[in-house]
Amino acid sequence: MFGAFRITNPLSGGLLWKIPWRLSKFQKQRHRKRLRAVDDLVSVVDTALAKKGETLKALELWKAEMPTEAEMLPKDKYTIFDRNAKRYRKGIHKVPKWTRVSQRLNPPGY
Amino acid sequence: MSFFRITLHRSAIGLPKRTRGVLMALGLRRRSQTVFHPVSAQFAGMILKVKELVRVEEVDRALSNSEVKAERTPDTGFFVERRGNATTTGEQGGLLRRGGVVREAMIMAAEEKKNSDSSRVVL
Repeated sequence: MFGAFRITNPLSGGLLWKIPWRLSKFQKQRHRKRLRAVDDLVSVVDTALAKKGETLKALELWKAEMPTEAEMLPKDKYTIFDRNAKRYRKGIHKVPKWTRVSQRLNPPGY
Repeated sequence: MSFFRITLHRSAIGLPKRTRGVLMALGLRRRSQTVFHPVSAQFAGMILKVKELVRVEEVDRALSNSEVKAERTPDTGFFVERRGNATTTGEQGGLLRRGGVVREAMIMAAEEKKNSDSSRVVL
């Protein structure tokens, strides 16, 4: 009756997960806000370390490779490469824990 | 000497053990908890590992836990004008500083209770 293995339509049928195929405009806005928060954090850490004359390989790598929120294409902000999806793209919100992981780069050409 | 002021903003529930380990190493156990660490490459690397979960500022000095608490404690809304016994303050200051007077009365009552308790212990 209750618990993780209860018999409900989504669990027994399979195709009843109600995750819409695209993000709403509000989800997109909150997503951009989170991206900018990470950008700000990286810049705060960077300036603090630069004042002391120190640097960090992970930080330099991030700055060199990762685009900031403003530099990212909408396509890369809101979708992610998936080899099984039609046209090789699925919504970023299909990624597990997508609000708490960074996913900015996709394979070139896709 | 400057410090990173690190506040855990997002929970690490369901995230990999290594991520949670980094939070433990930073001393962050619960959301909205704030810790201070000196600005160094070592702590910067740890912050970058959990950059989606924390908020970071650079500050000049590390605050103690009580100072952090005082920052977010709201104003009490009253202040004690003077001490006295509960009946006289009730008459004189009751209209203006009701909250303060009530608190004074409560403190008095608590003290009386404590005294009676302690006397009972002595007996």
